[in-house]
Amino acid sequence: MAGEAVFRQEFAVKGGDFSHGGVVSCRIKDLLKEIGLDDRSVRRAAIASYEAEMNVIMYAWHGRVNLSVSPEEIKIVVDDEGPGIPDIEMAMTEGFSTATTEMRELGFGAGMGLPNMKKNSDSFRVTSKIGRGTRLEMRIRRAGGAP
Amino acid sequence: MTDAALHPIRIDSDKCIGCSHCMRACPTMAVRVRNGKARILEDLCIDCGACLRVCPYDAVESHTTPFAALHDFEYKIAIPTTVLYGQFNDFVTPIEILAALRRAGFDEVYDLSAICELNTAATEKYLKDHPRPRPLISATCPVVVRLIQRRYPSLCHLILPIEPPREVAAKILRTTLPKKLRLPSKAIGLIHITPCPAKMVSINQPATLRKSYLDGAMSIRDIYPTLFRSLSRKRRDILMQRLFPDILFSGTGIGWSLSGGETRGLKNRRTVAVSGVRDTMRVLDQVETGLLKGVDLLECMVCPDGCVGGPLAVENRFLAKSRILRYVEAAGDRTVADHTSLGRLYNRNMLAFDHAVKPAAVPPLDGDPQKAIRKAKRREKLFARLPRKDCGACGAPDCRTLAEDIVRGLARLADCPFVKEKKT
Repeated sequence: MAGEAVFRQEFAVKGGDFSHGGVVSCRIKDLLKEIGLDDRSVRRAAIASYEAEMNVIMYAWHGRVNLSVSPEEIKIVVDDEGPGIPDIEMAMTEGFSTATTEMRELGFGAGMGLPNMKKNSDSFRVTSKIGRGTRLEMRIRRAGGAP
Repeated sequence: MTDAALHPIRIDSDKCIGCSHCMRACPTMAVRVRNGKARILEDLCIDCGACLRVCPYDAVESHTTPFAALHDFEYKIAIPTTVLYGQFNDFVTPIEILAALRRAGFDEVYDLSAICELNTAATEKYLKDHPRPRPLISATCPVVVRLIQRRYPSLCHLILPIEPPREVAAKILRTTLPKKLRLPSKAIGLIHITPCPAKMVSINQPATLRKSYLDGAMSIRDIYPTLFRSLSRKRRDILMQRLFPDILFSGTGIGWSLSGGETRGLKNRRTVAVSGVRDTMRVLDQVETGLLKGVDLLECMVCPDGCVGGPLAVENRFLAKSRILRYVEAAGDRTVADHTSLGRLYNRNMLAFDHAVKPAAVPPLDGDPQKAIRKAKRREKLFARLPRKDCGACGAPDCRTLAEDIVRGLARLADCPFVKEKKT
């Protein structure tokens, strides 16, 4: 990684701000296209960051999305201040969701958020402190690049 | 092929005063003002015609097929979009409009509503045969296809591989007529009548065919005066009724030119219809982030309310839409297409693309990702120095685009009237 150019940018996400849901992931997607990364990596990063962004909007008070891009790897770290995830293993199960009825009525809360993030990244880490917040770390390596 | 043929939208620099209306209206940031004149960046332009709508000086020209080009053909057929049926007053029927087209110099006119109905049936069959992927995106609007190729290349594989009605009609005519008329194919001119400047590109550079089956696209705006004069003479002669003894318009097909028209005829399918270029982009952004997977067909039309809102139409789109809706109501569920032939046409690939839509992504900041990353960083630094007033005085539509132009080598920081340049 030494000497490699890395693009970094931080985006703020506000909890409950559904009307701006998707704005950050869309910016990230456009940036990755402008940098000229392959379609597959861009798509995976777009999906993973969208899910992460929506999680902050749905469950947390506010959060920060930190993007760093090198030619080989996209790293997305999302830190939020929020209730935290009591049982991460459970949350990683497809279909498990703590979404409220209102959220489900809006089409969210299918219990695919974390599994989808994991599916669309090459490495995925969640750490959480109850009552404090959650940190998600996702890395997506360039398709066809070093494993 | 001349440049004009490649891109139907051009700016007449004699008329352009560099006022920047078009620059602000452009959804893909493809217009710049340089030396007091607007310029279109061809790579970014998707031919939507947004500039054409807003130019107060009529300086944005659209190159469609001129009337004189009809003389090149021995036998001329007009294939008008159903938008044409809503362009005249409430007492003019579609049949009279088709008759007026004949009087204007066409040997034959071809109503598209039946083919639209056939397309709906083909779409239904394709959806049934291919449960994945979703959402499929209709290929009817050539601007949407171009937009996806350039801005959403990863969605190319979602484009429903069925040719739009205008091409299907032309292909059927092209296959059957030469034998029937005993004329060589090139003596037969198939002309689409349309309110859309982008049809010319889809004919000259088809995205999914080796070669278009149409010979040209004439704008409603150009042919309107001729039709208007002809119609106002009230020649409701017997001959007309003889020529069109029983054209029946398809209930499913006649509303195709309205937003939602394509999806209306699909039964028990989840569909979404979007119109307007910015809203289309918003929804395509969502598709790219993995949403709308539960939708079978996504119909996007970049003109407001669908083709009826095309920039080269004459009648205001609300009136035109209201008239067409009346025809839709009158035709009800009437089917006119020969559905037994659908299977044959479908299996013989009469309705299918010649090849898939190929991505043609807007070039990144640099071909080398290392350099592109450096340029992206520099762009953010430049952007931070700009006033964010998006005033357009620099000749770029907004500050972000100016910053991008600078790193792409197309502009200088000194172009911004608010920045006091120390040194760069």
